[in-house]
Amino acid sequence: MAKRNRRVGYGLPVVLAIVVHIVALLMTMLRLPESEPTPSSSSVVQATLVSDVTATDQAQYAKEARARAAQQQAEDAAQQAAEQQSQEEAQRASEQQAQEQAQAQEAERQAAAEQAEAESDRRQQAAEEAAASRAEAEKQQQAAESQRQAEAKKQQVAAEKRKAEEAEKKKAEAEKQKAAAAEKQRQAEAEKKKAEAEKQKAAEAEKKRQAEAEKKKAEAEKQKAAEVEKKKAEAEKKRKAEAAEKKKAAEAAAKKAAADALSDSISSEQERIANAKQSDQASNSFINLVKRAVEDRWHLPANVDGGLVAQVRVRLGPSGELLAASVTRSSGNPSFDRSATQAVEAAAPFRELQQLDAGLQRRFRDFNLKFTPGDVQ
Amino acid sequence: MNDSMSIPHLIMNASLVVQLVLLLLLAASIASWVVIFQRSFALARAKKTQKAFDERFWSGVDLNELYRDVPDSHEAQGSEHVFRAGFREFNRLMPKTRSSEAVLDGVQRSQRVALSREEDNLNANLTLLATVASASPYIGLFGTVWGIMGSFQSLSMAQQATLSTVAPWIAEALVATAMGLFAAIPAVIFYNRLSSIASRLLGEYEDFAEEFHSILHRNLQGRGGNQAS
Repeated sequence: MAKRNRRVGYGLPVVLAIVVHIVALLMTMLRLPESEPTPSSSSVVQATLVSDVTATDQAQYAKEARARAAQQQAEDAAQQAAEQQSQEEAQRASEQQAQEQAQAQEAERQAAAEQAEAESDRRQQAAEEAAASRAEAEKQQQAAESQRQAEAKKQQVAAEKRKAEEAEKKKAEAEKQKAAAAEKQRQAEAEKKKAEAEKQKAAEAEKKRQAEAEKKKAEAEKQKAAEVEKKKAEAEKKRKAEAAEKKKAAEAAAKKAAADALSDSISSEQERIANAKQSDQASNSFINLVKRAVEDRWHLPANVDGGLVAQVRVRLGPSGELLAASVTRSSGNPSFDRSATQAVEAAAPFRELQQLDAGLQRRFRDFNLKFTPGDVQ
Repeated sequence: MNDSMSIPHLIMNASLVVQLVLLLLLAASIASWVVIFQRSFALARAKKTQKAFDERFWSGVDLNELYRDVPDSHEAQGSEHVFRAGFREFNRLMPKTRSSEAVLDGVQRSQRVALSREEDNLNANLTLLATVASASPYIGLFGTVWGIMGSFQSLSMAQQATLSTVAPWIAEALVATAMGLFAAIPAVIFYNRLSSIASRLLGEYEDFAEEFHSILHRNLQGRGGNQAS
């Protein structure tokens, strides 16, 4: 019965009231994320564009594809011709080299130290010429900007040095396969083979020279000259090794060029994809226009269950007017089919067709619409 | 879309009138809750003191002792207040008049005054609850109607009236009604509950007043009989 019992203060009630309101506010805030994910299907009717490609269009596409293939073939032929030219040049160079080598060998057999020196000079020249021809081939490759060409040329040059025209043919076939990985492998193999061939050649030459030296010894002529020859043969080997290194460097440069060519082709591919996307977007907007127009005018029959699907083929005139709307795949429910065709008839004409590109217009002159009532009754 | 439909976002984007209405309703809601808590505590305390005094009064204690027991500065509450007012008046009138009728009339009058004061105390601020309960739905409705008016005015400019153009406006407008109901519903419930508690307490005070009055009357009758005899 103290005085504090007389009146209840307002401090605590105010605090409690504010707490109540804050809790209520928090509850509304907390409930929102739960209610957010609930999906609301706004589309009452689903009309799906199944395919816009029909038999006539397919024929057109086939024609276009054929034209494209022919173009490609022509390009390929041009490439091949260029390759052949380069191959012939390389062949000629290698033949000259071989002739020179043969001459040199004959001269060696005639056994003269000076001749041997001359031969070594010639061989040097031949190696230089071969390097020059390779450089020319590489330049041509860069100009052509063709990775495959460049690689093929390198391979062919190597093969010709091995005097293996059969290998050339095989590589030509390999080119057609156009497998970059396989080509690299082959390249490596070719290099190995080449190295082996060079070794063999060197060994043969040494043997020949030894035989000659023996003959000369038997004849008791200029043993020292034979030794000099051997030394020169060793020098030749070194030169050949150097030439091989040079070639490798040249090949690396060619690879770089090929990589550039590849990136170029990638960028052109990207451009092509972008163009395709643009046309896709245009066609999508038209598809959506048609879909919305048809959906708006589609009145579902009353007693239709959700599982029905009907496909209607729509053929349009050049200005978008409806030529024919026929059911291509019936749902089994005639009233449903009729409602679908009536929706298309009511939605026509599709004047937006005139705003499309000529190519797209042709595509959308004839397309199929798929009607599904979805979950709506 | 869902983010723009959240309640805080809707309130922020509402028109000025709707925002004012919402502010008013928020104030009303807070005030009603303050009253609800204050009255709940006060009535619970009044109940407790009433019960304690009842036990003490009927424990057979002498009334003079009971009256003298508590200091005069103490502001009595409930039936204690009624008792003290009546007993003080009885003590003052006893030496002045011999008529028991006059004494009982005076005691009754002073008790009636004390009772009406207690009634006032019990029902203090409950009228605010009643006002909030009855008025806030109308205030919220006013906000909604105003918001929908605005939405239709802006719709008249639009070419096409689809559901998506109307929906945000209506949702915004309906927030006002929701707020009004949010304020009104607790106010209604607690008004009924608190006023019933208050009226029951008042009934107990009145019962006590009658009982006290009958005790005084009995005493006076005995004294009157003594005087007469």
